[in-house]
Amino acid sequence: MTGRVEVELQNVSKFYGEDKVVDEVSFQVKQGEIFVLIGPSGCGKTTTLKMINQLVPHTSGSIFVRGKDVTELDTVELRRSIGYVIQYIGLLPHLTIQDNIAFVLQLKKCPKKKQRERAMELIETVGLPLSYLERYPRELSGGQQQRVGVARALAADPEILLMDEPFGAVDPVTREQLQNELLRLQETIRKTIVFVTHDIQEAFKMGDRIGIMRGGKLVTIGTAMDIVKERDDFVRSFIGQGAVFSALDTIPVTRALIRDLPVVKKEALVDPAQPAFKGWDYAFVVDDRGQSLGYISLAEMEGPQKIDPDKVEPLPSSCLPGDSLKKALEEMLWGSRAWLPVVSEEGSFLGIVSFQSCASLLAG
Amino acid sequence: MKSDFLWVKVWNYIVSKSDFWLSALGSHVQLVLWASIIVIVLGVPIGIFISRHKKLRDPVLSVIGVLYTIPILGLFGFLIPLMGIGLKPALIALTIYGLLPVIRNSCVGIENVSPSVKEAALGMGANRTQLLFKVELPLAFPVIFAGIRTAIVMNFSVATYAVFIGAAGMGTIILVGMRTFNDGMLVAGTILLAVTTVLLDRLLGWLEKMVQRKYGMENLK
Ligand SMILES: Nc1ncnc2c1ncn2[C@@H]1O[C@H](COP(=O)(O)OP(=O)(O)OP(=O)(O)O)[C@@H](O)[C@H]1O
Ligand SMILES: [Mg+2]
Repeated sequence: MTGRVEVELQNVSKFYGEDKVVDEVSFQVKQGEIFVLIGPSGCGKTTTLKMINQLVPHTSGSIFVRGKDVTELDTVELRRSIGYVIQYIGLLPHLTIQDNIAFVLQLKKCPKKKQRERAMELIETVGLPLSYLERYPRELSGGQQQRVGVARALAADPEILLMDEPFGAVDPVTREQLQNELLRLQETIRKTIVFVTHDIQEAFKMGDRIGIMRGGKLVTIGTAMDIVKERDDFVRSFIGQGAVFSALDTIPVTRALIRDLPVVKKEALVDPAQPAFKGWDYAFVVDDRGQSLGYISLAEMEGPQKIDPDKVEPLPSSCLPGDSLKKALEEMLWGSRAWLPVVSEEGSFLGIVSFQSCASLLAG
Repeated sequence: MKSDFLWVKVWNYIVSKSDFWLSALGSHVQLVLWASIIVIVLGVPIGIFISRHKKLRDPVLSVIGVLYTIPILGLFGFLIPLMGIGLKPALIALTIYGLLPVIRNSCVGIENVSPSVKEAALGMGANRTQLLFKVELPLAFPVIFAGIRTAIVMNFSVATYAVFIGAAGMGTIILVGMRTFNDGMLVAGTILLAVTTVLLDRLLGWLEKMVQRKYGMENLK
């Protein structure tokens, strides 16, 4: 990640009376990154998250959001510009799902019509039927409410999302589904997310980087692979036995995704000598909507030419962005291939994973 | 035979003196209406205010509670030397009685709004006013309205005593009935008072349901 720093904490502490519940915490979250905070109950995760949008004022240290010190910003404006999914959902029980989703827009006094349109858009984004807009929160199941919680956080299209155990209240199957959907969504929305959980599998799966907290202190920060190689006793006991394998089983292939690939539109004029194709034998062909059509050999081309649809080879079996590294590696082993395309459920071509990209991820 | 005779007298009174008791009812309703408006306009904001200022909460509630327990005639004993007789002291007396349920319910209703819901609203960027009007008041509404309903219905019966302080109302019929040994008038007045009180309570209950339905709050309970 080389993006700009969106959220930064510098030696931030929080006292409740004599209790130091957050102790000199520092970290940075870059644009488009999912940063996971994990740790045992009561270690200060929620407090840390709430200090970012100043629901809880910090006692010392500095917090910067988009480069600005939060204490110098208008807190109401700050909060409206940050999506917040609270622990235990917190939907407003007296408002319909539509009004819940559009609540921020209502606070900002957006026109009713726009609120409705946005709610309709978002309820689809989180995979609920439109008819649910008229319902009240208590007419929804826990998992459905959590989806609404996510939709609500997205309403004002914030650059930054704070998610406090957003999938805490659901069964493991629904939880996995919600995780996959969020990761898929993140492929397109590329938000900066601070994500709190106490489930290590979820941390491995969701986090580009993971920060482990204990007793208010941030013990370590790193990628899933850094974390599983950590020597610290607390970290080792926290992530448990066989962490490498459980990490492989949960880290999604997108973490090892190669996006920087030669991709061409069908019927485009292609010059294999172009710098973009340097070092590549193949180019991937997509249609106007980014749907994957297959790949074409560049080596067989003599000079610039239009893509011949007959020469486009269909992709070998592919995997979904939410699939685990383990699954992708198995697929490659079974198919005796060194790489595997990653195609979204809608058929958009996202990139490839290769043995090499997996290995370099594992090696850190 | 005698009781048959009484019911005939009651009936005759209701039918033949309808101008009289209707105008008494009119003054009664007016008195209660004004008192209720004052009680709501004062009581709800005071209730909200003390829910936000914990130091004031208990002192205010206990002072109002003490005032509430003063018997009505004792209250008149205070008010007459201060402001004489008539509509004004009657209004003040009703206001004092009505304040307790309204202040207490407004305060408790606001206090009982779940912290996680308030936090969600604040986290999304609600300011103080928006938090109050879009979250706290709608959610506390059933409790606040129950307090208002209690106050109005109670004032409706307490207003009967207003006649002792020189303000007209249903009390007039009963008092005149007693003084003139007109038992038909006395019983008619009592029945009219009981019936209108029950009807008022029902009406307010229905109103409560309507408003709750409009805000979707029937789903809360
Ligand atoms: N308002 C408060 N006043 C006093 N202490 C508090 C307050 N809020 C939180 N704490 C304390 O701060 C510590 C950290 O709480 P926090 O909610 O951040 O934990 P957490 O890591 O989110 O835990 P969980 O996984 O259970 O949600 C806890 O010991 C808690 O008791
Ligand atoms: Mg928490």
